[in-house]
Amino acid sequence: MLNNLESAKKMEVRNSFINSFLALVFSLLLGAIFIWVCGYSPIESYKAIIGVSLGTVKGFALSLSQATPLMFTGLSFALAYRVRMINTGAEGQLYAGAMAAALVGAYVHNLPSPIHILLAFGAAFIAGGLVALLVAAAKVYLKSNEITMTLMLNNIIILFTSYLANGPLKPAGSGVGQTERIDDSAKLMKLIPQTQLTIAIFVVIIVAVILQYILHKTVFGYEIKVTGLNLRGAYVAGINVGKTYLLTFALSGAVAGLGGAAMVLGVNYRFIEGFSSGYGFSGISIAALAAYSPIGVILSAFLIGILKAGTITLNRTTSIPVEFVDVIQVLVIIFVAAPTLIRAILNKFKKIKELTNKQKHGGEAI
Amino acid sequence: MNFNADLVYSIIASTLRSSVPLILASLGGCFSMRAGVSDLGLEGMMLAGSFFSVLGSWISGSAWIGLLFGIVFGMLFSMLHAVMHITYRVNASISGMCVNLLATAATPLLLNEIFKMSGKSVTVEAFKKPNWEWLNQIPVLGRILGAQNVLFFLALLLVILGWIFLYKTKLGLRMRMVSENPHAASTVGLNVLGYKYFGVAMSGCFAGLGGAYLSLGQMNLFVENMTSGRGYIAVVINAFGKYNPIGTLGGSIFFGFFDALQTVFQSIFPSQLVMMMPYVFTLLVITFGLSGGKAPAGVGKHVE
Amino acid sequence: MEMIRMEKISKIYPGTVALDGVDFTLNKKEIVSLLGENGAGKTTLMKILYGMTPPSSGEIYYNGQPVKFKRPLDAIEKGICMVHQHFMLVPAFTIIENIITGNEPGSSMFLDMKKAREEVKDLISKFHFNLDPDTKVEKLSVGEQQRVEILKVLYRKADVIILDEPTAVLTPQEVNDLFVILRRLRDDGKSIIIITHKLKETKAIADRVVVLRDGHLVIDDVNPSDTTTKQLSEMMVGREVNLDTRKPAKNIGDICLKVSNLKVEEDDKEKIKNISFNVRHGEILGIAGVEGNGQTQLLEALTGLIEQNAKEITLDGKKLNGNSAQFLKAGIGHIPEDRLSMGLVKEMSIMENLILGYHRERDFCTRHGILLKKNIFNYAKSLKEKFLIKAPSVEVAASSLSGGNQQKIIIARAFSRNPKAIIIAHPTRGVDIGAIEYIHEQLLELRDKGAAILLVSADLDEVRKLSDRILVLYEGKIVSESMPGELDEIEMGLLMTGGHTMVEEGNQC
Repeated sequence: MLNNLESAKKMEVRNSFINSFLALVFSLLLGAIFIWVCGYSPIESYKAIIGVSLGTVKGFALSLSQATPLMFTGLSFALAYRVRMINTGAEGQLYAGAMAAALVGAYVHNLPSPIHILLAFGAAFIAGGLVALLVAAAKVYLKSNEITMTLMLNNIIILFTSYLANGPLKPAGSGVGQTERIDDSAKLMKLIPQTQLTIAIFVVIIVAVILQYILHKTVFGYEIKVTGLNLRGAYVAGINVGKTYLLTFALSGAVAGLGGAAMVLGVNYRFIEGFSSGYGFSGISIAALAAYSPIGVILSAFLIGILKAGTITLNRTTSIPVEFVDVIQVLVIIFVAAPTLIRAILNKFKKIKELTNKQKHGGEAI
Repeated sequence: MNFNADLVYSIIASTLRSSVPLILASLGGCFSMRAGVSDLGLEGMMLAGSFFSVLGSWISGSAWIGLLFGIVFGMLFSMLHAVMHITYRVNASISGMCVNLLATAATPLLLNEIFKMSGKSVTVEAFKKPNWEWLNQIPVLGRILGAQNVLFFLALLLVILGWIFLYKTKLGLRMRMVSENPHAASTVGLNVLGYKYFGVAMSGCFAGLGGAYLSLGQMNLFVENMTSGRGYIAVVINAFGKYNPIGTLGGSIFFGFFDALQTVFQSIFPSQLVMMMPYVFTLLVITFGLSGGKAPAGVGKHVE
Repeated sequence: MEMIRMEKISKIYPGTVALDGVDFTLNKKEIVSLLGENGAGKTTLMKILYGMTPPSSGEIYYNGQPVKFKRPLDAIEKGICMVHQHFMLVPAFTIIENIITGNEPGSSMFLDMKKAREEVKDLISKFHFNLDPDTKVEKLSVGEQQRVEILKVLYRKADVIILDEPTAVLTPQEVNDLFVILRRLRDDGKSIIIITHKLKETKAIADRVVVLRDGHLVIDDVNPSDTTTKQLSEMMVGREVNLDTRKPAKNIGDICLKVSNLKVEEDDKEKIKNISFNVRHGEILGIAGVEGNGQTQLLEALTGLIEQNAKEITLDGKKLNGNSAQFLKAGIGHIPEDRLSMGLVKEMSIMENLILGYHRERDFCTRHGILLKKNIFNYAKSLKEKFLIKAPSVEVAASSLSGGNQQKIIIARAFSRNPKAIIIAHPTRGVDIGAIEYIHEQLLELRDKGAAILLVSADLDEVRKLSDRILVLYEGKIVSESMPGELDEIEMGLLMTGGHTMVEEGNQC
């Protein structure tokens, strides 16, 4: 191993890239089989998907706008995973952030647009962060399990915001559960008219860059790294593990909250119950595919956004449903989480290849 | 709202009805934990059971065949969790979540592909109330039990059988040893992997059955995301009930009660707040660790 | 009557020869003590007999017939059972459940607890074990738990019982009780092998003693009643260390690290029983002892990793409190017991590992928490050169380095921060010869610069070679203090294994 001249960083990036790439490839292959079983041509379908999402302006905008919420939740899960905490609460944090942003957007008036937007995002940041902080505190001081806690909190937050949107905060004469429209000053500017693509995409990219910086260039990021990779070593090295857990998890929730704000301020212009189609959980597969790297999350979310945009459009001409991409996402996590599974499959292929070669060349009986 | 005997009967009957899926799912959780594997994937197994039981009933025209489908597919989904965690040593929480995510993503997809519908399926043959004459003879209880369908009684029977298996048979004792100390179990020659797979498979069967109850017992169709978190509640009920089938009965009925209350209080309290209550209670329980029992000592441990 | 014969057993692992052509026999109705130091090969030999691992070469004969054990179940079927050092019990189960699981009585699929209880009660009374079969194992004392382990093997009709360091966890009274039971079992016709390093107990219980050293059989027919513990120790240890290479300290100064009345409790057991000692500047204090006698707890107490129960640790007069961060800041360097799980993050680069623990210091980060990557890189480079860490660059992952070079990272890290005191544990375990010499040199250099060094090592040679003063730790107490060369190896071996104590309890060292 001494002749491996790669730096530690390069090695880590290379290995996880290969792993993620293979996971994506396998998932797409399985997806292709599914398409074929349904009676369509996989090649045509994939070609059509790419054609729409990368070939047309509207399609490209759809790819990015579909990817935006996934980027937020993906960053959230990836960050928490860095200290080996599982944030299954992004969905709830998303809703909390969305409600906070909707309230600031609708009930605070007469502010210049940039300030209003900043304030709304800030409120969402705090809302998501607080929710996550509570869970992290329970983990650190009471040894509770963050997975089950966040799962319960998801339901609580979604139900509570639904109550607000159907009850006290519901605008008069509204048929669905939602809040008041936000002021124009809080709306995010669209980048391409008549699409859902707003400057939120820049916001999330900036957040990703900031997170990347924190993780790789600061002491905090260093302590996160050690805590996640070798908990015992972290204690021996005098790292305040509890504080690291608290800060990281809170930040993770805050980022998810920002995602909710992006939806409210950019797409719906108000809080609408049920606005999230499982973005919180989708973020898990995005993060896994990205090998938990912030920049990787941007790329992975973009890839999935391409698939989603293409499938949505395809859905009009074929009967391949939009949920198809959701299944691919789950397959991705499965393959990424079990790298040995990939290796086992590859080995089987190798063995089959060897066997057919032997038979071809008239080898001995096996 | 008139507070009278009718209302009380209605609430009790409704409670029992609502508790059945939880009873079954948490029974599955018992088997999983008592084999040393954590049960976070119950939600996905239940959802799979809900969907595939409707599929089975649709194909065959018989509710019982549908039930069988539900059980089998619940088990198949549980095998994903089993293979990932037991053979490939993936963290059990992650592999459990994979099952949940797969079911959540696949069921709408299949709904679309097979039934060509979205949101909910066509109606199918389901279970109806048995209308047993002799029940009407029993005062009080007769009326309540008469409002249940045959699956309720099946669930109770399974709980008893499950308890007998875990605590009164040789296989049950061995499986429990695997959950407590897999290393020790292997030194006395037990097939640790086999028992773990068995426990997870059983959890899939029971959760699948619980899901089938939702679609074929309470209703006669599949609705997207039908389980709406019941599987997660079952995880907590299991912990609360000390991973013992009889213990989980109480917790299931408790949550069933809140489910029943929801329809009753709909006119007084906003339904969301009522629906929130079991989750809040569960959250408090988890947070302050008052889960009561200690989990088997070897959960999540592998033999090297 | 010969029960078991193992002929020319060898076991080779990549890089080490654990056993080299060892012959071993066991007769009926006898208790054999298998004696040897850490790493002598005794556990390996028994693992082979018990079927947990196959021999690289050699034959095993049971009752004259050749046998091959592929897994423990094969050995159990022949009646060979092992009572492990770390019990294989389920605390939440009752005694009966622990004993019968896997071999339950009755022919149906249901548990016949009545029959099980009968059979277990019979065994208990036959050998006077004095246990209530319905008690949960978690409520039993350690000695009682061990008896349950023994019941497990008796229930399975074992004829050959192997016990691995059975007295390691027992109180003296429990040891006596155990011996009474063992004698009863022998008189009943069983054969017993005890793996141990404790000499006094060997003399007390064994009919015959077999000694292994460095994977070889030294002698196999020692009669304990006409051998002294000193002679046994000689057989176990056997070699001399050249003390000429010693470099004694020249500048021993004031007391640096002072430990008073240290007590450490773990799992309701006293692991450190009220010890006091001090280490002076410019001095290496060596703590010798067999692993498991309290070293880990001592190290944890001195590096801020656990709360000491009766603390008084001072560094240059100032009381030391708090967690590992405070200890590091106060100037105590730490070379931990287990480099991979405690001292390094193997996925990180050498560079990143070299600042671990010190990463918040001004040299490496700004006031606002930004890492000074260039500084760190240069620092790492200079350390790599100075300490001769063999690697292509400081950016490769620590996992790609050999054990010795990994250890060098930890040493370079701790030594270069001008520590006042250094706590070192097993510094050369798993390290190649070249690196060992180098590490020793660095240690001495640091000492001569004025640091106070506490060296804990299970390698007696290392301790004797480097220390200026040696304490022996046995069962949580300091049982001797000596200058190097004052006691020879054999006497030290005796002290380390409970031979006899030289110092009364409570004395200052």
